[in-house]
Amino acid sequence: MSEKVIYLDYAATTPVDPRVAQKMAGCLTCDGVFANPASAHAPGRKARGAVEQARAQVAALVNAEPGEIIFTSGATESDNLAIKGVAHFYRDKGRHVVTSRIEHKAVLDTCKQLEREGFEVTYIKPDANGLIQPQMVEQALRPDSVLVSIMHVNNEIGTANDIAAIGRVARAHDVFFHVDAAQSAGKLPIDLEQWPVDLMSFSGHKVYGPKGIGALYVRSEPRVNLDPQIHGGGHEHGLRSGTLATHQIVGMGEAYRIAREELAKDVAHCSALREQLWQALHAAVPEAVLNGHPSQRVCGILNVGFPGIEGESLLFACFGLAVSSGSACTSADKTPSFVLRALGRDDQLAGSSIRFSVGRFTTEAEVQEVARIVSEEYHRLRELVPAAG
Amino acid sequence: MRDPFSGYGDTVQAHFRAPHNTGRFASGDARVFSGSAGARRHGRQVEFQLRVTDAGRIGESRYRVYGCPATIALCSLASDALQGRTAAEAAVFSVVALAEQLQLPAEKRDAALTVEDAIRAAVGRYNSAQGPASAARVSSQVQV
Repeated sequence: MSEKVIYLDYAATTPVDPRVAQKMAGCLTCDGVFANPASAHAPGRKARGAVEQARAQVAALVNAEPGEIIFTSGATESDNLAIKGVAHFYRDKGRHVVTSRIEHKAVLDTCKQLEREGFEVTYIKPDANGLIQPQMVEQALRPDSVLVSIMHVNNEIGTANDIAAIGRVARAHDVFFHVDAAQSAGKLPIDLEQWPVDLMSFSGHKVYGPKGIGALYVRSEPRVNLDPQIHGGGHEHGLRSGTLATHQIVGMGEAYRIAREELAKDVAHCSALREQLWQALHAAVPEAVLNGHPSQRVCGILNVGFPGIEGESLLFACFGLAVSSGSACTSADKTPSFVLRALGRDDQLAGSSIRFSVGRFTTEAEVQEVARIVSEEYHRLRELVPAAG
Repeated sequence: MRDPFSGYGDTVQAHFRAPHNTGRFASGDARVFSGSAGARRHGRQVEFQLRVTDAGRIGESRYRVYGCPATIALCSLASDALQGRTAAEAAVFSVVALAEQLQLPAEKRDAALTVEDAIRAAVGRYNSAQGPASAARVSSQVQV
């Protein structure tokens, strides 16, 4: 086994861009911007300035106002704040939430919690390509619906929903619309000035920023009210208390600045490498199956099913590769992906599907090497398999 | 070194990456006895073949396997361990004990049982071929 691991798991997390790390390092020590941004003294005001600059950088990537960006500990917290925040604040208006079966666990588990609290949740089944169509949302809405929560890009298969169209459905029914954009920010254009979206969750570490920082977009007009989930100090307009983590916020801001400036370059790079990987895998393993929509998708994620072999063995055989079976958050769980099963894949194919995700620092040589290793291991394992029984 | 994620030690990893005695014997060899266990739809399927010498000992074995790394490694290790044993010894050969020696995770006990069942089914076929007295010792096919 080679000691060098090829990293093709950018959808799980990205390395921090060196330019981001440099900015963050400037916020930690005595000679840096280390003070509490809530302090009124000069160092505090300097830190506050750095935080506000980062807020503007995050807002700029998605065409929002800086005042509409609330910093959190990550997209999971953002999802919690958005979903529980709306549901709790508007509980007298209605107690029904619409989401899909293939949302991230941060959304699904939050909805399960709401169910325990007495809310009702409709989980929409995606179409065969893993997409949630606007008419599916329309059909799921009820007079007592208060919130629709649909992800922009699915974290396992990379398919991208038509958020603007779904938003128009929600708006027509006077229902709030939350979008988990952890996998799309920095990879697809997002225009919150134009899109009828009320709440959108972002992550720092999926966009070459640090872990432990995220943001929630909260539309100011028409205004969305949220019940805060964390209390203690009234930071972030009272929506998310806790001392602002200047270094992480500055890191996320810089990451989003770079993502905005280099979006076209990153997308072209990742699209080309993803296509090369699929072509190489498909040529070596013609029976391989593409999971997800062939074109309505994010640039960097490729999910491939390998029929006829056992999934754990395939993943273990590819030990020198950092890839994922299902999303990283659920890879510890050996049961087949609930996303792929929702798409109608059987347990065997769902279990032997691999998510490859390329990123800014992936090279063509790495992609070719991954295709070679995976196809060789596939054929080695396939040779061992008896006739189906 | 034990892999922290899977819990597999060096021996399991080595046999998974380069399993011994894989494949099938050529058909038509009257000294070859086959047994199977498991089903692919259940995530694990093993076909084991034993070639028994005129002296009643296992000369070689072959197998085909669909399953997790532990299942593949256990097939490989068992195929090595069976060589030279009598059919009676093979019938009581414990793959579960082998799995315990390898400190496989507890949830892999089913893998060991499936390999063991396939071996015992093959021994059962051999015993059946030797006559009713032998056949009574081991059932010929294990249902799972």
